[in-house]
Amino acid sequence: MEFNDAFVKAFQLLGAGLAMLGAIGAGVGVGIAASGGVQAMGRNPDAAPIIQTNMILGMAFAEAVAIYALAVALIIIFAA
Amino acid sequence: MSGKMHEWKFGKKRWVILAMVALGVYAAYIGPSYLKPISPTVVLPAEPIWRGLWITNTMLATILADILLILLGISAYRFVKSGKLVPTGIYNAFEAIFEFLYNSVEGATGKWAKKIVPLVGTIFLLIFVANMVKLVPGFESIGWLEEAHKGYGYGTVKLFSIGGLPVYTLDKAQRTAIQNEDAAHTEEGAADTAEEVEHTGEVCTVCHVIPFFRGSATDLNFTFALAMIAVVMTQVYGVWSLGPRYFTKFFQFGRLVKGGVFGIIDFAVGFLELILEFAKILSFSFRLFGNIFAGALLLSIIGALLPVVLPPGLYLFEVFFGIIQAYVFFLLATMFISMAVVNPHGEEHSEAHA
Repeated sequence: MEFNDAFVKAFQLLGAGLAMLGAIGAGVGVGIAASGGVQAMGRNPDAAPIIQTNMILGMAFAEAVAIYALAVALIIIFAA
Repeated sequence: MSGKMHEWKFGKKRWVILAMVALGVYAAYIGPSYLKPISPTVVLPAEPIWRGLWITNTMLATILADILLILLGISAYRFVKSGKLVPTGIYNAFEAIFEFLYNSVEGATGKWAKKIVPLVGTIFLLIFVANMVKLVPGFESIGWLEEAHKGYGYGTVKLFSIGGLPVYTLDKAQRTAIQNEDAAHTEEGAADTAEEVEHTGEVCTVCHVIPFFRGSATDLNFTFALAMIAVVMTQVYGVWSLGPRYFTKFFQFGRLVKGGVFGIIDFAVGFLELILEFAKILSFSFRLFGNIFAGALLLSIIGALLPVVLPPGLYLFEVFFGIIQAYVFFLLATMFISMAVVNPHGEEHSEAHA
């Protein structure tokens, strides 16, 4: 492999790793959603089904950011 | 008596599990190198199951899931027609799943549930069955041998032959890195002739496996198609419920004419809603694809690194995630459809859409 190719490849992998930094926010978000959901369910166990549904919805939206980061990382590694 | 019976069964299972762990340890660390797990080649697009054919391995897995689902559906239909009121066995599970889905949809959309459940329930069942089928051993590991063009390739060892069809396995000891991609491209012609030779009985020298089956949701086409269906059907349900009036959500010309400055803002927000519909397709498809692809990748990489202890736990994890992702897709589709069927200016007409 030429030096330039190796250089580009190295930064490509580095970039893919940096793209996954977006998962930090998603992790925090999912944690906050779970914490809020569990607290709400503890206070009002009767409303557990509704809270659970909305909690999973919120988690899915928060997680979407991490999935976008993953898609970007995969594109950087395989398609760029 | 039953307690003793149970004890005996438990003991038997324990020995079976121990034997399998011992077999795993032998294959992974002690045995010959062709038994050792190899690190996976990561392939993003689905590969055709036969050179030049348009059927890909993810399509084949989807068709398998479809057939399974249709058979289950037919048998459930026959059971319902047979007139028995109390479901048994698998029909019990069916009833539980259906009741759960119906109650979720009814909680979100009220009287529209009967019209919405067939679509979102089908999406849930298809994703669920596809994600479960994906975990069957042999997926992503059994397939044709083909000459590797980039990354790493492995030599082959002949195991046995079924009839006239020889069965090979990849040998971890004979790992060769394919260094120069340009050289591989210039040798493409030679590689093609090697493929030709393969049909007459010879095998490739530096190989990787093109699997017969690969999890449906590890292909972006599958998830993108489902997302398109969900979003397009959202518009269909919206028009069904509100008529042509539904599209005033996106093009608020009435507000533009009457509303003054805020009318212009509302008009711009309508355009944002239109863009949001396309963003829904992207987020739907990438969420499912990303989760399942990352899960499959995790399974195969951990399987190569630590083949004995961890994979069963990860399989459990994947079962859980398969269910959760199917549920999330179902729930989001339900939510979007329920948002489409209620009137955006419902409070003006004082219609009860709680």
